Amino acid sequence: MKKRNPYLTVGLVMTGILTALIVLGFFWTPYDPNAMAAGPKLTGPSLAHLMGTDSFGRDIFSRVLKGAGTTYGIALCTVAVGAVCGTVLGAVTGYFGGIVDDVLMRLGDVLTAFPSILLALVVISLLGPGKTGNVILALGLVFIPSFARMARGTYAGLREVNYVKSARLMGASSSRILWRHILPNTWSVLLPALTIGFNNAVLAEASMSYLCIGVTPPDASLGYMLSESQGMFMSAPWYALGTGLTLVWMVFGVGLIGEGLQRRGGGEV
Amino acid sequence: MRYTARKILTLLVTMLVVSLLTFAAFDMISGDPAATLLGTQATPEKVEALRTEMGLNRPMLVRYGEWLAGFFTGNLGVSFQYRQPVQALLGPKMLVTLCLSLVSFVLIVVVSLPLGLLSANGKLDGLHTFLNQFCMAVPPFFTGILISWCFGICLRAFVPGDFPGLDRNLGKSLVYLFFAAVSIAIPRVAMTVRMLRSTVISEMNKPYVRTAIARGNDRRQVLWGHVLKNSLVPTVTFLGQTMAEIVAGSIVVEQVFSVPGLGRMLVASISSQDYPVVEAIVVILAFWVVLSGTLADLVNRCIDPRMGGIGK
Amino acid sequence: MKKRILTLLAAVCLLSAVLSGCGGGSQNGTTGTTDQSTANTQTEGPAARAAAGELNVGIAQDLDSSLDPHKTVKAGTREVMFNVFEGLLKPDASGNLNPAVAESYTVSEDHLLYTFKLRAGVKFHNGQEVTPEDVIWSYQRCGDANAPADIIQVAAFANVEMYQEGDDTVCFQLQEPNNEFASYLTTAVLPKDYTEQDTAPVGTGPFKFVSRTAQESVVLERFDDYWGEKPDLTKVTYKIIENADSILLSLQSGAVDVFAHLTTNQIQQLGDGFHVEEGTMNLVQALYLNNAEKPFDDVRVRQALCYAIDRQQILDLAFDGYGTLLGSSMYPAFSKYFDDELTNYYTYNTEKAKELLTEAGYPNGFDMTITVPSNYQSHMDTAQVIVEQLKAVGINAAIQPVTWESWVQDTYSNRQFQSTVVGVDASNMTARAMLERFVSTASRDFINYNNADYDALFAQAQACYDDGEQTALYRAMEKNLAENAANVYIQDMADFVAVRDGLEGPSFYPIYVLDLSTIHYTK
Repeated sequence: MKKRNPYLTVGLVMTGILTALIVLGFFWTPYDPNAMAAGPKLTGPSLAHLMGTDSFGRDIFSRVLKGAGTTYGIALCTVAVGAVCGTVLGAVTGYFGGIVDDVLMRLGDVLTAFPSILLALVVISLLGPGKTGNVILALGLVFIPSFARMARGTYAGLREVNYVKSARLMGASSSRILWRHILPNTWSVLLPALTIGFNNAVLAEASMSYLCIGVTPPDASLGYMLSESQGMFMSAPWYALGTGLTLVWMVFGVGLIGEGLQRRGGGEV
Repeated sequence: MRYTARKILTLLVTMLVVSLLTFAAFDMISGDPAATLLGTQATPEKVEALRTEMGLNRPMLVRYGEWLAGFFTGNLGVSFQYRQPVQALLGPKMLVTLCLSLVSFVLIVVVSLPLGLLSANGKLDGLHTFLNQFCMAVPPFFTGILISWCFGICLRAFVPGDFPGLDRNLGKSLVYLFFAAVSIAIPRVAMTVRMLRSTVISEMNKPYVRTAIARGNDRRQVLWGHVLKNSLVPTVTFLGQTMAEIVAGSIVVEQVFSVPGLGRMLVASISSQDYPVVEAIVVILAFWVVLSGTLADLVNRCIDPRMGGIGK
Repeated sequence: MKKRILTLLAAVCLLSAVLSGCGGGSQNGTTGTTDQSTANTQTEGPAARAAAGELNVGIAQDLDSSLDPHKTVKAGTREVMFNVFEGLLKPDASGNLNPAVAESYTVSEDHLLYTFKLRAGVKFHNGQEVTPEDVIWSYQRCGDANAPADIIQVAAFANVEMYQEGDDTVCFQLQEPNNEFASYLTTAVLPKDYTEQDTAPVGTGPFKFVSRTAQESVVLERFDDYWGEKPDLTKVTYKIIENADSILLSLQSGAVDVFAHLTTNQIQQLGDGFHVEEGTMNLVQALYLNNAEKPFDDVRVRQALCYAIDRQQILDLAFDGYGTLLGSSMYPAFSKYFDDELTNYYTYNTEKAKELLTEAGYPNGFDMTITVPSNYQSHMDTAQVIVEQLKAVGINAAIQPVTWESWVQDTYSNRQFQSTVVGVDASNMTARAMLERFVSTASRDFINYNNADYDALFAQAQACYDDGEQTALYRAMEKNLAENAANVYIQDMADFVAVRDGLEGPSFYPIYVLDLSTIHYTK
């Protein structure tokens, strides 16, 4: 256990810095992110405007802080929805098995037959595009099957393990076994899965917003800002770079945390 | 044989459910294709009349039945938006997406297989991992923007937004698709390398390999002779998944590069409520995904006949 | 092992058979291809095109579902198909109506009988000659309430009796005089018994339709049997380029030669090898207010908004200062009807805006939403500036971007909105096309404007035969809109057309079209 684990450290530091900036962004940004003419139009990065300004003279750094906050928030909520629903579903079906298990898993198979972005597209056009809540719901729904499958596997595997059997013999209720006995043992699998889910959610949300069917102004997220910046790429390349690199930073940091967790959990490389 | 038959049956049933779900889902959307077609000229009476003309006011299941019957006779209906038979409309688009996917797939295989094996020597673990994670963190559409800027605007290797067309200029089109394929491939290459690396390393640590090496066999020989063969099954499964993921990636990347393929058609048709086209594209893409998985399974069974009995 | 491989092969064959079933046997997505070889051999590069007299034009959006001109909804479709279709009359760049399919016409003393003599030897693109039956059928189709639902009804044709006299004369007998009747006769004349109009349209214009590829291109060719002066260009390919940053690249790389409706930002980056023609878009961009919705049912609130919005700043921030400020629902191309005095009816004055808001009971402002079709970057930009400006008077506005389809359905047809930024244009050269929509009973009155004086003025204008008097009435209607602050009128946007050097001749029309027949290469 003395082995060094630089991934976790670096990942935590990167994510920590970004999270701190985002939290700061909720209370204070250098300029009002939507204020027009906060500076001269289309200027490159400088001390006054860390990431330059766009064609309206809006400060891109302030906008990126806000946008990253939106993306981050949506990804967190999405993972929460997907993980909670998925784990509960997977736990129940995995532990009890039977016909419900079969039906639900078939349904999961069907859902995974859709590429996730396609499924999200369909769901979002059903719910109505543009609203933050709907984006979370659509993406959350997309992520349920993968969490369910994972939880199901773990629970089905642990069902016949001795300590669970003895708990059952001692008369522990099913819900207690599921909650108190098995769940703590799934953490080593669940935690890295959460980080992967988070990253998938960030990327999926960004893709959707990039296609202009995700979150739209005034809550512009990083994906929407990227599609906006693509039109200004010739005149303000720093807009796309600042936005895109922030996105990469976010996913990279969390990815490293996941890697670190996996290794600490004794998983393979 | 029974195994193959069962696989194909599962595939067909899945497709049936997928098509029914899509049909039902779009039926429930509040938007009305008739009203969309009439645009600013819509009045309630006109919309109602057009709905009748388009046959939209009949029960959903009747229309689904008709669609299904049409599907098996090679008739996917007529696009609302282009008033052309859907199959004629989507034929060329499908070809473009197929080319894009194949180019991406070849790129992924060609780049990641050697890289994966090279990196399996266990050295420079940290660097590999960091690089891997970084490549996985770059969203394809961001790479796409950077590539069109770098190779399109600065180096003039291709003209972003002006796809030459496969039938007009195959060479130029493939160059164009190559750049789009690169942005799809980068994260997938990282994932494949990572998968290969961990498979090979874990295989190398197995007792039989250790024994073989301890007995004085050449390490390299063992690697090529035994380890690779045993790593093949998970690799094929993974590549099957990759095949499926590429399609998802192409939906977004086609948008970035303005490639006239299925993905771009899908996004446009969703917003213009052109359901016959959406339905057809969803079914085609879902079929592609399921097919990749099925093919991977079948190939695996050929490699390792034991597979059929155990997993699915 | 061998058997397994065979099984596998069989499976693959089966699956690919199903796959190709999905794709359909035909790999040909173009329709109405009269000449496959010309559609597919594309001349490479601007120089080769110039030598062959060909032209590539960029357009930013795909055309309508149907190419039948009687079903055209989008202005972008009209812009292209203007070159393919003609009516009895055809507008020119200065807004005059010239005889086209007709050779001449007379109007009776009582303004009730229009007699058109058809031009001899006018041919449709399919080779048929235009007959009086075709003309009557075409116009009746637009006036017939029982025609297929997607045909756009022209109210002016509804109660008109149309009949043929002799071999080459068509008469229109009106029930009531209508000063603007001639404007409606620009409606396309189509062959009567032709059924492929939706996908392979046929008209009498200087260019004929060749093919259309969804989301990619529309190809037109010179019509060699055109009755009038034949255009210089032999073939025109419209390339659909939806991606905003691809527009410039497509010009610079030589993929297209002409691109209309560019922004100032794009013009500045254009570089050498192009010249720019500047005109106006010919539309009224405004913050349209739902007059039936609180708080905009109060005229003081609407006026307050007019004072609170700095239109010049909108032009400066979002349009680099280009654009023509407007004060009512009329743009300068309608020179006869346009009243420039209304332009500065309201001047930027936040104090006055606050006073009016206080009077109306909103001393601290209110919340509102601005619905914007997000595919129009210029409207999005305008809305974003407005949101910032309204903060100064305490109004908290939020932008709700929607797709064009949902804008049409929810905002325009169902009138479910508070305010919206869009541009409204005229489908033909009549003041009526701009002003009728605000009559309280009009089906297109999407802002729910309800003003008895306005309705009365419109009724008077319709009943009036005297052109001068009618013009005065239309001007009074414009003034009524301005005084009551029906909407916050902003501007007629500047329209820039980038043209490759060596090409000349795009001219600006008072309606939204790009006439190809005047474009030519200078040698």
